[in-house]
Amino acid sequence: MIKSIKSLYQPTGINTTCGWLVIALVRALVVILCVMTAVFFIIRIVPGDPAKMILGEYSTPEAIESMHHTLGLDLPLWEQFIRFVKTLFTQGDTGNSIIVGTSTRELIAERAPITLLLIVMACVLAIIIALLLATLAATHKDKLLDHLIRILPTITLGMPIFWVGLLLILVLSVRFHWFPVGGVGEGWIGTLYSLTLPAITVAFSQIPTLVRSLRAQMLEVLESDFVVTLKAAGIPSRVILFKHVLRNSALPTLMLLGVNISYLIGGTLVVEQVFGIKGIGSLLFTSIAKRDFPVIQGIALYCAISVVIISLLIEIISRWLDPRTKGK
Amino acid sequence: MLELNASLRKPLWVGTLAVLLLVLVAGCSGSKNAPDQNNGAQQSTNQGANQSANTDKPAVGGTFVYGRPASVTSFDLHNEITSNNAFAIDKVFESLVTFDSKGKIVDWLAKSHSISDDGLTYTFVLRDGLKFSNGTDVTVEDAIFSLQRHLKVGGPLAIAAKVDTIKAKDSKTLVIKLKEPYTPFISELSNFSNGILPNNFGGVSEKEFFKKPVGTGPFVVEKWDPAGDLTFTKNPYYWQEGKPYIDKLVYKLIEDDSQAINQLKAGEVDAVESLALQNANEIKQGADTTVVTNGSWVTEQLFFNTLDKHFSDVHVRRALALALDREGLTKALTFGYAQTANSLLPTAIPYNSNDTIKALNFDINAAKEELAKSAFPKGFMTKLLVASGDSTRAQEAQIIQAAGKAIGINIEIESIELATFRERFFAYDFAVMLNSGQADSPDANSIIAFQTDPKGFSKSYWTHYTNNEVTKLLYEGQKTLDGKDRAEIYSKLLQTLADEVPYIPLYYPDILKGVRSSVNNIVVLPNGSVRFEEVQIKK
Repeated sequence: MIKSIKSLYQPTGINTTCGWLVIALVRALVVILCVMTAVFFIIRIVPGDPAKMILGEYSTPEAIESMHHTLGLDLPLWEQFIRFVKTLFTQGDTGNSIIVGTSTRELIAERAPITLLLIVMACVLAIIIALLLATLAATHKDKLLDHLIRILPTITLGMPIFWVGLLLILVLSVRFHWFPVGGVGEGWIGTLYSLTLPAITVAFSQIPTLVRSLRAQMLEVLESDFVVTLKAAGIPSRVILFKHVLRNSALPTLMLLGVNISYLIGGTLVVEQVFGIKGIGSLLFTSIAKRDFPVIQGIALYCAISVVIISLLIEIISRWLDPRTKGK
Repeated sequence: MLELNASLRKPLWVGTLAVLLLVLVAGCSGSKNAPDQNNGAQQSTNQGANQSANTDKPAVGGTFVYGRPASVTSFDLHNEITSNNAFAIDKVFESLVTFDSKGKIVDWLAKSHSISDDGLTYTFVLRDGLKFSNGTDVTVEDAIFSLQRHLKVGGPLAIAAKVDTIKAKDSKTLVIKLKEPYTPFISELSNFSNGILPNNFGGVSEKEFFKKPVGTGPFVVEKWDPAGDLTFTKNPYYWQEGKPYIDKLVYKLIEDDSQAINQLKAGEVDAVESLALQNANEIKQGADTTVVTNGSWVTEQLFFNTLDKHFSDVHVRRALALALDREGLTKALTFGYAQTANSLLPTAIPYNSNDTIKALNFDINAAKEELAKSAFPKGFMTKLLVASGDSTRAQEAQIIQAAGKAIGINIEIESIELATFRERFFAYDFAVMLNSGQADSPDANSIIAFQTDPKGFSKSYWTHYTNNEVTKLLYEGQKTLDGKDRAEIYSKLLQTLADEVPYIPLYYPDILKGVRSSVNNIVVLPNGSVRFEEVQIKK
C-alpha cells in the first residue's frame, strides 16, 4: 500500500525535496484552475435562471430582463468567463453574490470557521474512536470482540449519513433533550456542545474504513519479525504497541484519511443541512437552488483548495514519518 | 501473534469507556441549558396558540423565534415579490388599507377611505399621530412619494390601475384619481408592495435606505444577515398603542423541513412558517405543539399547455378532468387541511362560486366517452412536469398518472428541481404540469387576470389558453363596481373555465403554521404571512 501511494505522489526523476514541492504546487494550481473552469461552465449549462429565482413566478419579462442586465447575465458566456477570471486574479474572489449582494469572500469567511471546526472535531473523534477500536480488535484477533468490531463497518457503511444524523436528533435531542436539535450555540462551550452530534455523525462515516485499515496494518506489524524480536527481548507490550506498532501502522491510515478528506468535506456539507448549521454546506445548498453562480464557484474554489492543501500536508507528513519516501 | 498483558488491556478499555462517557456527560450537562435558549418558552399546554383575542392581561416581552425556510434578501418593497422577502417587508412597512385574516379590506394607516360612485376617485384620510420608526411624523407627502415610486419602478406587483393623479387635498387627506374605473384597485392597495416609506427615503440614498429600512410597521430591523437570520425589535413609535407585545422577533433560517419540525418540538423555535400537510397531525398531536390554520389564497392545479398537440383538444382536457377523482385526491393527500376545488378562485376570495359551479366531477364512463370524441380516441403518451422536493405533489402526480391510465392516457412523471422546473414552464416547455396559483390580494381579479389573460406576460399562466368571451368578462370584471353584477360576471367566467378546463383546480390548501402551545394570538393571514403584533408568549 505504501508503495502504491508513494508512486502516486512521487513524480519520477525528481528526488530532491525542493523539486518535489515545486512540482506538487504546480500540479495543485492546475487542478484548482481546472476545477474552476469546469464549475463555471457546468453550472451555466444546467437549466435555471437566477433572475427568475430572485423575482419569482409572477415576474414580468421586463423585470427579468432588467435583472439579467444588472447581474451581467445578458453578456455572452465567454465574456462572463473572462470577467470571472479577471475578478479571480484581481480581487482573489469569485465576485459578489447574485442573491445577497455581498462579496463571496465575505460570505465564505463568515461561514467557514464553523465548517472547519466541524471537520476538525469529526476528524479528532474519528481518529480517537478508530484507534481504540482497531487496537482492541487487533489485540483480540479472532476473538468475539474482534468479530464484533469487524462486523461494525459492514453495518455502518450502509447507513446514509443524513439518516444517521436524523436518528441521533430524534433520539438524543427530541426524545432525551441532551443536545440541541440544530443550530450553533453561543460561546466556545456552546459551539462545541452544539457541534457534538453533527461531529459524531460525520465521524460515523469515517470510522469503519479507518478501523478496517488500522486493524489490518496493526496485525501486519504485530506479526512482523521485528515485533517478535522485541517481544523476545523482553520489551513491555505497552512500549511495543505505542512506540513501534502504532507508529508503523499509522501511516497508511493517515494516508487513507487524507484520501477520504474530500468525502469528509462532502459529508460535512450534508450534515450541516440536517442539523441546520449555517456553514459552507448550507450556503452551497441555497446557492445551488437559487443558481447563485459566484457563490457556487467560490465554494468550489474553497473546497478544491482545501482538498489540495490537505493532500499536500498528508504527503509531507507521510514523507516525514516514513523515511523511505524522502528524496536523497 | 503478540499476546498483550493485562496491564495494557485495561487502559484500552478505560479509553473506550471514557470517550463514551464524555459524550453522555456532555449531553446530560447540556440538557439544563437547552430550554434557556428560548426564554423559557417551553412550559405549555395544548390550548395555547390560537387566532382569537385573549381576554387575559397580555403577557408582555420576550423573544419570538420563527423558523423560516429562506432568508430575507431585500427590503425593497417595489422590486421584490418572493414570499421570503414579502413577509419581512410587511413587518416594517404598512399600507393605507390592509386585509384581515378573512381577507376583508380594513383601514390601516388611513383612518377612513372612500371611493366615488364613478369608481374614479379614491380618498384616504391618514390617522392622527402616525410616526415612522425613527420618530418622524408620517405626512401625505410620504404616501405620495411611496405610491409615485411604485408607479415608476413597476416591479413584479406593479399598480395595474391607470392612475391619473395622486395629490394631497390637505395635510391629512390623499386623493388618487384614475383615468378609468378599476375595481380591484382598493384591494391591490392593501398589498405589502404599497407600503408607505419616508419621502425621499428620509434623506439617504435608496441603497442605504433599504439596508436599514424605516417604516411605520410594528417592527424595526435590528440585525440582518441576507444569507441567514434576521432580528427585529419592536417599534417604539408604533401607532397601535402597547403593541407589539413581544420585544423581539427573530426570523431563524432553517432550510431543512425535518430540522424545522424537530426544533419546534424541542422548543428551540416558537413557530415554523412552513409546515407540510403530511406533518400537520404529528405537530397537532404533540404535547407542546399545535397547528394554527387559515384559509389561503392558493389553488392547487393541474395546468395544460393548450399549445400541446394533445391538450389543445378540449375533449382530451375534459376527459382527464372527468377521470380524476379530485375529492378522493384531496382526502387522501391533505389530511383534512384542504377543500376540494371546483373553481379557480380560492374560497377565501369573494365571488369564488365554489359551491355553485358545475365542475367536471369524477365519472370514468363520461371520461371515456369524452376521450372518444377527441382526436386521440385510443389514448396517447404524455409527460407530467413536477418540481421535485415536494412529497405531496409527487403523490398528486401518481394519482393523476393512475387516472390517466384508466382511460388510456399514459402519463410519464418528470420530476425536476425547482429552478429547472421554472425554466421549463416559463418557456412553455411542458405538456401538463402541477403547480399552484396564488392571489396577491383579496380580489377575484388577482388570480383570474393572471390565469386567463392571453395577452398578459404569463399567457394565461403559461397555458396559452385563449377564449375571447373569457377575456371580455375579465375586463368587464375589472371595471364593474363590487356587487351583484360583478358576481354574475365572475360566475359566468368561472363556469366557462370549468367547462373548457385549461387547468383542473384540485384543492384549496389551508395555510398551516406549526406553533408551540405556549404562544397566544398568532394571526395567520390568507397570503401566508403572520401578524405578530398581538402575539404573546406564556411565561
